[in-house]
Amino acid sequence: MFDLILQGAPLLFTMQTMLLIAAGIVGGLVIGVLPGLGPLMGIVLLLPVAFHLPPIPAMGMLIAVYIGGSAGGSISAILLRIPGTPLAAATLFDGYPMAQKGRSQDAIGLSITASALGGLIGGVMLVFFSPMLAAFALRFGPPEYAAMALLGLTTIIVVSEGSAIKGLLTGGLGLLIATIGTDEFTNAYRYTFGNFNLTSGPNIVAVVVGLFAISEFLFQIGGGGFLDTPRLQKLVISFRALRLIASHKVNLVRSALIGTGLGAIPGAGGDVSAFVSYAVARKFSKPEDGYGEGAEGGVVATEAANNGCCGGALIPSLSLGIPGDASTAVLLAALFLLGFFPGPELFRSNADVAGGIFLAYLTGNVILLILGIVLVPFFGTVLKLKKAWLLPIVLLLSTMGTYALQNSVFDLYVMLVFGGLGFLLRRAGYPLAPIIIGIILGPVLENNFRRSLLLSRDGPMIFVERPISATILTVVAIMLCYIVYTLVRSGRQDTAS
Amino acid sequence: MKPSLRMLALAVGAAIATGPALAEFPERNIEAIYPWAPGATMAASQVIADAMGEELGVNVSIVSTPGAGGVKAFQTAMANEADGYTLIDGYVAPLVLQPMQGNADWSYEDFTPLWSATSNAFAIAVRKGDERFPDLDALMGYAQENPGDLRYSPGTSGSLPHMVAAKVMQTEDALAQLVPYPEIDNAVRDLRSGILDFIVINPGVYRVNKDDVDILAVLSTLDRSSETYDGAPLIGSLGIDMGMTDLSPMGWDWWLVSNDTPDDVVTTLQDAMGAALAREDVQQKLLDMGYVPTLYGPERYDEIVGPVEEQLSGAVDAIAWEVERMQGL
Repeated sequence: MFDLILQGAPLLFTMQTMLLIAAGIVGGLVIGVLPGLGPLMGIVLLLPVAFHLPPIPAMGMLIAVYIGGSAGGSISAILLRIPGTPLAAATLFDGYPMAQKGRSQDAIGLSITASALGGLIGGVMLVFFSPMLAAFALRFGPPEYAAMALLGLTTIIVVSEGSAIKGLLTGGLGLLIATIGTDEFTNAYRYTFGNFNLTSGPNIVAVVVGLFAISEFLFQIGGGGFLDTPRLQKLVISFRALRLIASHKVNLVRSALIGTGLGAIPGAGGDVSAFVSYAVARKFSKPEDGYGEGAEGGVVATEAANNGCCGGALIPSLSLGIPGDASTAVLLAALFLLGFFPGPELFRSNADVAGGIFLAYLTGNVILLILGIVLVPFFGTVLKLKKAWLLPIVLLLSTMGTYALQNSVFDLYVMLVFGGLGFLLRRAGYPLAPIIIGIILGPVLENNFRRSLLLSRDGPMIFVERPISATILTVVAIMLCYIVYTLVRSGRQDTAS
Repeated sequence: MKPSLRMLALAVGAAIATGPALAEFPERNIEAIYPWAPGATMAASQVIADAMGEELGVNVSIVSTPGAGGVKAFQTAMANEADGYTLIDGYVAPLVLQPMQGNADWSYEDFTPLWSATSNAFAIAVRKGDERFPDLDALMGYAQENPGDLRYSPGTSGSLPHMVAAKVMQTEDALAQLVPYPEIDNAVRDLRSGILDFIVINPGVYRVNKDDVDILAVLSTLDRSSETYDGAPLIGSLGIDMGMTDLSPMGWDWWLVSNDTPDDVVTTLQDAMGAALAREDVQQKLLDMGYVPTLYGPERYDEIVGPVEEQLSGAVDAIAWEVERMQGL
């Protein structure tokens, strides 16, 4: 574990990397503050930039956006009662009442401090558990990877927002998109329609930018209010929160650990962990703490959890190559593009890169603590940014970034097509995250499934003859039974009503 | 029009008219389109690109454009203007193999060579200390007696390492089940854990994993290829004639530009690449990575690349033989 850190240190402690992490934190906070955008959007917009950077500065910047974006959503939740991101929805319960009582400065300070410290606790767990999980996964072969990919897909569907059926459908769409390109086993072209641009499938960055950034752009246009500016309380720089949080130590650590644990389960995500840790903190509170009426503990619990969750989500992502949520799925895509394959081999063959990523995550949280507090007045200004300015910037960044990937106009078409598709799916209430998870996990599932059958001397029995593969598949079977059970039950309830 | 405006217009017109004539190649950064995903081989190309950039005074960047066995990279490069700002890192697979297999409609003669870059020999590797296979004889003997029982991976199916391995096995009448692994690192992982019985690797992969593998044979006829595998035996020294010599059984690349590129631009690029490859530090870096600088100048392009196609056709047949035999089991 410490070897990884030592090997990664020289890659991290360069001026370029540190500046990019700081820029990523600020960028993440800004994009988290802006309602409707979030860490995923930040990562998506910077993905094309990262593609042209060395691996650790690139991953450091993207991870910093992930951290900053996860923390930034609380600021608009506290000041405007509009969570900047779904992750900050639970922060409303006590953050906004604190602001109503004239304590917006304290609420923001506590949310940033709890986010940073929660993220650091999640980071320690990441550094501790990832190498252990990766070492265990060295025993994995193609059957185990196929089973893990199936588990990842099933979990995402179980916990996807909206109905499981809609999650299944969009997950299936992701799997279909993943089949476009060249079959890696026979070198045959699949669904390329004679277009050489599709021979390696649609560019994943163009797909992600389209699905998330362009669809959000279209949604925001539909929402109107291009010239609206909110009225805010005056904000100043204050380090008082560092003293205040000392009285919430147990709540902080407990919430961060809940966040990390839930984050490590593919699909659970930061919003789930924030609500769960809020419920736990409230359960352990005294009536005089006044949860729901502006309790400091409520803000600490939700923010420590949703940033601890980032560290947790990176554990299966880095050690197994199975993303914890849509943001980590895009981070994995970035790692692929930079030439590294997440999983046990990353820890074995590129220990310096794995260590550099760990350190970037930890450093990002330290920088968040400092910059998050120092820049509070600036975030107030950001919240006043009119949509009329913001939306063209999003469109410009999306278009320039996507084109710059390969100087390809075709990638822009891909971006626009997936932008329209994402918009239509969101309007119909279908979750988009399973599409990305499907695109990332589809090739892992297909290739390892086919490879397993080629390796097997006993046909499909290879999946049940190997104990780890059999165990994972049993878990998948239980989850599928659960999905069917809930669908049947909700169908009966609908009929009865 | 006022006189001052007229003069300004004339000045601008003159600048535009004379601009291209005065401009000297290169004025901006150059891209070398690389046909594979990033990895050790791309790092070797980057070494050459960096040195070439220093000679030219602009940045030469390697742009990874994987897909369709390298065909996508060639098509992407050819879609750009033939102005010397787009180079092709022309590996043997998209340059010679894909046209042979009907997947591309060009021949090597459709490109103008700068210089040849590197070559790397492939090798058959087994798990370190695998007592079943102390040498190639034992491996081939087992595959002869138990056709289709062994599992092996040369990386991607239909690739050059696959062809060369299939040719060796055909020569020995030995048969094993192919298991494609586009990411060869995963094949090494599964060799280590005993899922695969042998793999075909290049020196870059060997360097990273030398503690986990034993090299049974280097699939080359060139003595210096053995050095990149720490002195492992050449296939010829084991009494096997695989019917492929010199560059034919090896991975190699020539840097190319379109035939429509202006002559003066081609000369500038050739001089810069020649000077870059002549540098001892560049050669040493490449050797350290397991890639042998071939140092063939553009005048030897036809002589070197021409015969490769003929020798490779035998290897293509070997894959067909492998498929047919496996289907017959």
